[in-house]
Amino acid sequence: MWIVGVLLVAVSSPSSLLSVMLEGTSSAVTLAIRLAGVYALWMGILQIAEDSGAARFLSRLYRPLLSRLFRGESEETKALIGLNLTANLLGLGAAATPLGISAVESMSRGEEAATDNMILFFILNVTAVQLLPTTAMALLASHGAHSPADIVLPSLLSSVLTAFFGICAVFLCRLVARKIPLRYRPKPCKR
Amino acid sequence: MQTLNLPFNIADYILPAVLLLVAVVGLVAKVPLFDSFVKGAGKALRVVAGVFPYLAAVFLTVQLFSASGLEEKVCDFLSPALSFLGIPAELAPLLLVKPLSGSGSLAVLEQIISTYGADSYMARAAAVLSGCSETVLYVAAVYFGTVRNRRLRYGLPVAFLCTLVGALVSCWICRLL
Repeated sequence: MWIVGVLLVAVSSPSSLLSVMLEGTSSAVTLAIRLAGVYALWMGILQIAEDSGAARFLSRLYRPLLSRLFRGESEETKALIGLNLTANLLGLGAAATPLGISAVESMSRGEEAATDNMILFFILNVTAVQLLPTTAMALLASHGAHSPADIVLPSLLSSVLTAFFGICAVFLCRLVARKIPLRYRPKPCKR
Repeated sequence: MQTLNLPFNIADYILPAVLLLVAVVGLVAKVPLFDSFVKGAGKALRVVAGVFPYLAAVFLTVQLFSASGLEEKVCDFLSPALSFLGIPAELAPLLLVKPLSGSGSLAVLEQIISTYGADSYMARAAAVLSGCSETVLYVAAVYFGTVRNRRLRYGLPVAFLCTLVGALVSCWICRLL
């Protein structure tokens, strides 16, 4: 995708190639600086929740679900996963990201490739089950929708179905991956 | 559906409620609030520094993808297949931008809503669609940038498949409800 993109821009308007690429990397800088602020806030709050035991309490609520999905992870990891899913559910995406990073970090034991549990967690985050799709509702409302809350039920339904599909897909891939002996596996592609 | 007419600004109280809850529980458990906060916040810069190179790479790729016109071409190429599956061609750009860029997909969503009217099927389907998937590449870069486990194996294909399934499901559900 990289190379094709560079070539296409180079052919169509060679003079703009540098500015296009710089635009990409500088928006990463702007985002990183904003994220630093967001993460500082939420990781600070998370630390309070951890120290007070609120995080552990919450993870106990999730235990029936999480201990089935994430076999072999420690209690702290499951607590972080539970917190991340809660933040996603509540629509606090900014809080969910640092929680997710901490969760993935605590799942990591220095392997080269992502573990099955990490991928499952990643998929759960990608499908983004949310109780109230606040951004979309606000957009609909600002364009004069009759009752923007009408999308709550369809959104919940479709994201739950998608998440369910994602979980099934991950478990299927897991089964297949176990069947293929290590030496036949494709070489890691460079990202 | 009218029974589900929640007071709209319920969402505005979620954040204050969460913060209050954390603070009260912290006070009750006699946690030194300030010290704990500082300890947690101190990790933030390290995390951002670890994530940044991957963010830069992803943003560079996304920018090239859209500036080179590749995005439009892929869109034109895919929309017949998508409409065959039940996703209207008008929603194809949203589906393609969504995994790449959050702000980009918001712009597309806004455009769809203002073109077709906020109460149209198209607007509702677009709103539901944008709610049931995430910016896959961004999440991948941020989550896996900090750890050594960088090979995602089947992670990305499944994630993109989920985005597609989410779009299908939301188009169908919006047609039914």
